[in-house]
Amino acid sequence: METGLASQNQLILQPIIENHLIELRRVSKAYDVAAGKFLALKDVDMQADAGEFVAVVGKSGSGKSTLINMITGIDTPTSGEVLVASTAVHAMDQEQLAVWRGRNVGVVFQFFQLLPTLTVAENIILPMDFCNTFPVNERRARAISLLEKVGIAEQADKLPSDLSGGQQQRAAIARSLANDPPLIVADEPTGNLDSQTSDAVMQLFANLAAEGKTVLMVTHERDLTQYFTRSIMLADGVIVNGRER
Amino acid sequence: MNSPRWKKILRDLQAARGRMAMMVIAIAVSIFGVGMILSAYTILSREMSANYLGTNPASAFIELDRVDEALVKAVSERPGISEAEATSWVGARAEVSPNEWMPVLLFVIPDFETMHVSTVSLEAGAYPPSDQTILVEREVLPMLDMKIGDALTVQTPNGTRQQVVISGTVHDPALAPAWQEQTVYGYISPAMLATLGESETLHILKVVVSDEPYNITAIESTVSELAVWLKSQGYVVDEIRIPPPGRHPHQSQMNSVLTLLLVFSLMALILSAILTATMINGLLAQQIRQIGIMKAIGARSVQITSLYLVMVVALGIAASLIGMPLGIAAGRGFASVVAQLLNLKIYSDAISLWVYIVLLLMGILIPLLVALDPILKTTRITVRETLNDYGISRDASASSLRDGWLSRIRFFDNTLILALRNTFRRRGRLILTLSLLSAAGAMFMTGVNVRAGWGAYLNQAAADRHYDLEIRFNSPVNEEQIDSILANVPGVEKSESWSLTPAALNRPDGLDIVRTYPDGGHGSFTLRSIPLGSQLIETPLLNGRWLEADDTNAVVLNQNAAAMFPDVKMGDEIQLLIEGQAKTFRVVGVIRQILTPSTAYVLPTTFTSVTGQPLELTNAVRVVMREHDDAAITSITRDVEQAFGEGSVSVKAMVSEALLGEAISGHVYIFIVALMLISTVMAVVGALGLTSSMGTSVIERTREFGVMRAIGARSKTILRNIISEGVFIGLMSWVIALPLSIPLSLGIGYLIGMMSFRSPLPLIMSPVGIAIWLSIIVIGSVAASAYPAQQASRLTVRETLAYI
Repeated sequence: METGLASQNQLILQPIIENHLIELRRVSKAYDVAAGKFLALKDVDMQADAGEFVAVVGKSGSGKSTLINMITGIDTPTSGEVLVASTAVHAMDQEQLAVWRGRNVGVVFQFFQLLPTLTVAENIILPMDFCNTFPVNERRARAISLLEKVGIAEQADKLPSDLSGGQQQRAAIARSLANDPPLIVADEPTGNLDSQTSDAVMQLFANLAAEGKTVLMVTHERDLTQYFTRSIMLADGVIVNGRER
Repeated sequence: MNSPRWKKILRDLQAARGRMAMMVIAIAVSIFGVGMILSAYTILSREMSANYLGTNPASAFIELDRVDEALVKAVSERPGISEAEATSWVGARAEVSPNEWMPVLLFVIPDFETMHVSTVSLEAGAYPPSDQTILVEREVLPMLDMKIGDALTVQTPNGTRQQVVISGTVHDPALAPAWQEQTVYGYISPAMLATLGESETLHILKVVVSDEPYNITAIESTVSELAVWLKSQGYVVDEIRIPPPGRHPHQSQMNSVLTLLLVFSLMALILSAILTATMINGLLAQQIRQIGIMKAIGARSVQITSLYLVMVVALGIAASLIGMPLGIAAGRGFASVVAQLLNLKIYSDAISLWVYIVLLLMGILIPLLVALDPILKTTRITVRETLNDYGISRDASASSLRDGWLSRIRFFDNTLILALRNTFRRRGRLILTLSLLSAAGAMFMTGVNVRAGWGAYLNQAAADRHYDLEIRFNSPVNEEQIDSILANVPGVEKSESWSLTPAALNRPDGLDIVRTYPDGGHGSFTLRSIPLGSQLIETPLLNGRWLEADDTNAVVLNQNAAAMFPDVKMGDEIQLLIEGQAKTFRVVGVIRQILTPSTAYVLPTTFTSVTGQPLELTNAVRVVMREHDDAAITSITRDVEQAFGEGSVSVKAMVSEALLGEAISGHVYIFIVALMLISTVMAVVGALGLTSSMGTSVIERTREFGVMRAIGARSKTILRNIISEGVFIGLMSWVIALPLSIPLSLGIGYLIGMMSFRSPLPLIMSPVGIAIWLSIIVIGSVAASAYPAQQASRLTVRETLAYI
């Protein structure tokens, strides 16, 4: 199986002084809006290492989602560098980003975003299919084992619409793990869940971090801080503090 | 196909089966329309030739003083002649009800069994006929409401009224259908002709040339040489008829229908491409967030592109599988209807391979081509853009001027203003929808307009004729005698002498060669005497002037006659062959005459000088009646008939306005059927496009409706908003379609008019067409938007906001 970032590192930036899994150097992002330019991120520097569970917090419009979009390659910086395991994400084109992201980043969305016409298991097999990462005959077994890991193996052959919100989010987490990426990025994954389900989901993420995955999560919810190893607070596009728990 | 991405496509197709079915139906309807038209085209063009050529049509018909077996044998051995045969034809009349007569064309066949040039085939009854019976063309019986075994009352020019039993029917595909021409075609032996009071001597020689049988110049050359030889052998050579080789008398009528069909099939093809583009855009609009998610989890653009292209191809194949067989079946049906109207037999309804190829390409390639660009564009949108597509703001094109104007409108409530604003928000989609609906509307209205133009053209033709009856006599009659007879017929207002004689282009060899078919009507050229100051026809001048009192050899040509002299200018002299003599005329004008064969008009004095017919005699009169409705015309015509019978005046033919109207209606019926069919296909495709477009618009904005409901909008408000938007788009397309239909109607009217009558059809903007399309648009808009609107209004706020 090919999961290492080194295989994708045609754009490695040398020399890397500190070997962080994620490193943002003076990243800025400006959007054109009717009133002119809106600076969503301003010269942001940030690092995260393997096994960290980092919360990205801040008010609405502070730049949280923009920040994680830079790291996942969903969006590109106006200036600055984004390095993930020494890969220069900011320098990739859309096609390179798709392949890189599929193998190296698991993305979890607030509204789960499971494809509605695929069963839960098929949703999890889909990233393996797109990235051709596991042998075809092993993919379903892997999907089931990931579903077992998130505790919904019995739901494997149901459609997402048959699942509760919490179950759908667990399925989305299992999907994010399909290609065994070192980095999991989640954008308010508990924003649409009740508190009990939120706790269970957060515990899943914490377990993943404990297994050595880096988990980056945007959240508004202050009572979840116990799960994070660190939080980064953003205000008006600037990191106002990076706090170890 | 076991891979989840292909499963996704299959299940997406299944999940959105309503929309997918609509898309398949829309493409299938287009394929159906084009398939029907192309199939009919391929069958009719082939079968018309097969029918006509199957009779082994003569290259020329040479009228001689006598034709016997020895001559036939000698001619068939002449160089350049492959076959020769003797025949005769006689113009007679049949009494179809008391004092109501119809023209009869009798073809005299010396030996039915060995006939091999311009043949006919037995349909029913006894073949050959006995020497006391008649065979009629198969279309005659339904026209006269008679059956085999019935007796037909026939009178030849030199004979008395006689009852002749119809012993059978034949199929003669070389003739225009009897009901269209309002003529009885009969086939008899020479002995039967003698019984009817005419000479048994045959006088027509049919010949088939061996070299270049479809080259009219080559035929003319061979036949001219033959005619010179015939003269040298002591025969009197009269008229030589060389009809356009290989062409059915109604070939131009058929070509016009086929051209009309081809033009509209091309339009249907364009419409189908726009429709497919609209559908594909709708499909992608629905899938855009899923595309974003797939890209977020590692799908490359090429993988997603191939998914959707395969989906489009699958839909195209499904549409082709539905549309193609139905279209071809309908095409066969349509061809069979037209064949029946034209009295053709369909020997084979096989469809050419190219039709299948075109339809398959249309079903698969067109959707693929129109889908490629939007699919590529959509799959290239960044993940952020696709995930941020909330169906509320993307691609919103604001116009401060427009919005400012809309916000000042006071007499509409906010829902309607919102609907108006929504209409303009997605400019790309709006342009596509408007293109589709406007194109469909313009084509529909063009179909109806051309039909109306045709009607106006025919009405104009009728309006240009200010007489109700034309009477032709077997020999010239004293005008005073005619006037006195007619003066005693109640209902006759006045009559004028309009003598006529066949004319031909004069040739250096002095031969009387005309382009007329054996029926004597199609392709004929006539010289007409017209009284000075006559008001019985309209004479709209295309060039020059009308005849004047002091004109001596002046001639005015109608546009069909003028086309025979392409380089002639006003004041030029032309030579016409009149009764075998070359006569010189000075062209002073050209008039436009609708549905009138080639005619040259001269003053009575000129007519007398070129024909030798005394001024006081006439061979044709035109009668004006006091009442002009069909019933009155028919009744007075019977009285005129009776009066001439009592006055012992031998009538050759009576052509009443009622009879002419029937014949003309017969000629245009096929066009009307074709245009109605085309308009219906266009209306169906347009309605489908509207439905698809509105459905797409609603799907795209499902989230927006969630927002609206979250802030207090009731289901009714959303429903009203969507339906108002649909109706507004429909009305906009109607406004665009109206002016668009003008050049289209003009163009097609020109094409069809020129092909059929050498004169463009008038542009008529049919209020009926405009109103029908408006109704289709309004009802269609409401219907098309009501269902998706109702579905959207039923979704809960949570469902709409989580809509993926």
